[in-house]
Amino acid sequence: MKTPYTLIVITLIAALAYPPQWYPKPLRIQLTQWFGAGSYRSLPESMPMQPIEHEIFCPADPSGWRNAQSIDGVTIAESLACVADNPFLVAAAVKGTNNISHATLMASGLTGDAIEKANDLDGDGDPDEIHIRLEVAELNGATPLSLDPVTQYDIAPGIQPGLWVFAPKFVGMAVENFESQRARPALRLPSPAIRVEQGDRVFITLENSHYMPHTLHLHGADHAFIDANGEGNDGVPITSESPVMPGFARTYELTPRHAGTMFYHCHVQPHVHVMMGLQGLFIIEENRPNNWLQTLNIGAGLVRVPSRGVVETYDAEYDLHYQDLDQQLSERIRIDNDPRIITKSMHRDYDITDARPDYFTLNGRSFPYTFRESIVVGSDNDLIKLRVVNGGMKTIALHTHGHKFTVTHRDGTKVGANSETPRDVVTLATSQRLDLSVNLKNDGLHAYGPGIWPFHDHEYQGVTNDGIGPGGNISAIVYTDFLDPDGWPRTQGVAWDNYFTEQYYRKEIPVWNLYAPDLFGQPAMDGWILLRLLVLLVCLGTIIGILAGKVLKWREPNE
Amino acid sequence: MNLSRCLACLLMTLTAQAWAADKQPAADHHSHHGMQLDADGAVMNANSKQLPHGCDRISAEQDFTVHVGQKHAQDPGMAFGMSMQEIHVKPCSRVTITLVNDDAIRHQWMVHGLPKYLYPAGMFHLEASGGTERTGTFIVPPEPRNYLVHCDIAQHMEKGMRAQLVVGAGSGDLWAVNGVSDPFVRSSYFPQTPWLWFISVIILLVCAFVARRLTIR
Ligand SMILES: [Cu+2]
Ligand SMILES: [Cu+2]
Repeated sequence: MKTPYTLIVITLIAALAYPPQWYPKPLRIQLTQWFGAGSYRSLPESMPMQPIEHEIFCPADPSGWRNAQSIDGVTIAESLACVADNPFLVAAAVKGTNNISHATLMASGLTGDAIEKANDLDGDGDPDEIHIRLEVAELNGATPLSLDPVTQYDIAPGIQPGLWVFAPKFVGMAVENFESQRARPALRLPSPAIRVEQGDRVFITLENSHYMPHTLHLHGADHAFIDANGEGNDGVPITSESPVMPGFARTYELTPRHAGTMFYHCHVQPHVHVMMGLQGLFIIEENRPNNWLQTLNIGAGLVRVPSRGVVETYDAEYDLHYQDLDQQLSERIRIDNDPRIITKSMHRDYDITDARPDYFTLNGRSFPYTFRESIVVGSDNDLIKLRVVNGGMKTIALHTHGHKFTVTHRDGTKVGANSETPRDVVTLATSQRLDLSVNLKNDGLHAYGPGIWPFHDHEYQGVTNDGIGPGGNISAIVYTDFLDPDGWPRTQGVAWDNYFTEQYYRKEIPVWNLYAPDLFGQPAMDGWILLRLLVLLVCLGTIIGILAGKVLKWREPNE
Repeated sequence: MNLSRCLACLLMTLTAQAWAADKQPAADHHSHHGMQLDADGAVMNANSKQLPHGCDRISAEQDFTVHVGQKHAQDPGMAFGMSMQEIHVKPCSRVTITLVNDDAIRHQWMVHGLPKYLYPAGMFHLEASGGTERTGTFIVPPEPRNYLVHCDIAQHMEKGMRAQLVVGAGSGDLWAVNGVSDPFVRSSYFPQTPWLWFISVIILLVCAFVARRLTIR
């Protein structure tokens, strides 16, 4: 029997292959005393940098959507950020889809009954009966035809979480065109900010075009529990009415007596449905004469036709809708196509008490896309109004660089004048709204002068995309002196090429590869230690095999 | 509710007046390109006159009424559906579709892949708001082919509103036409039991044991 000798030889080889840096410390010291320090082997090179192809930072605006313009008698302010809303849609939202020219309606993409306005009830020159129709759209959902999602929407490069949104009623396809799987530009996160006037008779018809039941709940906005017919009007399945089933519709009514920044959301399984994106800002503007409001602000952001009341005090107004998304929830609509399986997965398997959000959006985008469309633009001495909502599950610690803002309203109610202290961090609990006044007067307290001043959630998860920074809801107050004509901020510091690639957020690119590739690049592998490990594994495997054979033979006596 | 209905009526009248100049009655089968959009629906790229290349005359008049909505969903795992998932027509025939929307939400009946010289973007499209209907006419080319018909509202095709228009002998079924062909990606209807893995391992071990017994002799 040669087996014992074979075993001894193999064990010896294994011992020699065993990497010295894993030897016990006393042995290593003893060896050093006998043989001195090991001879030098040079450290592995940094891996060569793959050339990265980044997206265009600032897409062109061939149709001139950013320009100030007048459409059907509606004066639309310029939108200086790189990506602007469709001004025809803005005009339709101001006049109503029933009061604009056919050409404007066609260019808006809306159906003729999407926003209907009529009847100047108080005789002050603006319509007071407003009928809004909303559908429910799914973005990045499943398809029986492919493993890729359909009606795709990117919150950041390559990041496509499954989403549900309330959407205005658009005519035609949900995608850009038949060859594309990308959602049409106005079909997006967040659900549109809705603006109505104090005292308006408002009808909102929820046309449930989605495959799950939903409702509309007007959070903080003055509405009756039941309507004139005794039907539920609060949107809560357990207390006021059954949900609106797929293919059905219900009209919610309100005549809000108080102005303020409110909220709307679905109230069916809200811990799932609201977190999927069925939430939007609901703003009630003070009553003024000739107050034609921009009823919908698609994707929130700059209000291009601000109300009379806001214009009295402010130079510009922005809607800022913060949200967070849990990848473990949003992926569930992408995996299966059968609503029964999706429902179980979302409402029974998913457990929000174990959840942590992964993505953090401002107006439906995460950094770097926030810089395309969700920057706040101003000049010296401007006074800017921000209406902020936190729709996420996580509290936000909203912080501005270069400015101290003032909280004027909390949850739609004015705060006392002596509580209007300038602040640079303010917390927003889930579903809380704050109206902020940002004064761009360079007085060392309210502002420190022109620049590109970031504003972001100071809880650190919020400035990442699934843990990769910079990401999340980082945006900036950009002074016009620092803005290129195409709307891109003239940033100093590091290049942004990495951030406009999918690879960076897939964690495939060293964070500082553009300016310190040798020092912080990806080191190549050490071939020598790999070889030793391989030999060690082969020896150990052989030893186990020989010993197992011996044991089995011993268990089979009749051999 | 009554007030809101009054409002809707009023608005519809206003709308009709405002757009009288642009409107063409849907029943009027004039050759017409582009979108006819009105308050609660649309007909796009209707064509009742111009013959596709290769047709020297209209071969037949073919009229279909397609009901759509949640109650036409074909399977329990579908949310929406069409009463006709497959429509057969003769080459070069003039096809008139009446889309009847039995839901309270918007639906569409959209064909893709038609010749682009007659139908911009290769499509013919009917769209009707809840409770309304739309009629439109188009002429199919002579080649046998299966055309995709669907509703392109987000997730409607995926959840049941996918059909095919078969000209002549057709060119083979499309994937995932409900009631006609299988989905390309089928949901995994595995047993919903936590014991699934345990049972699998038991079966595996029993088989291994039996196999060993058999081979040892
Ligand atoms: Cu819901
Ligand atoms: Cu549909």
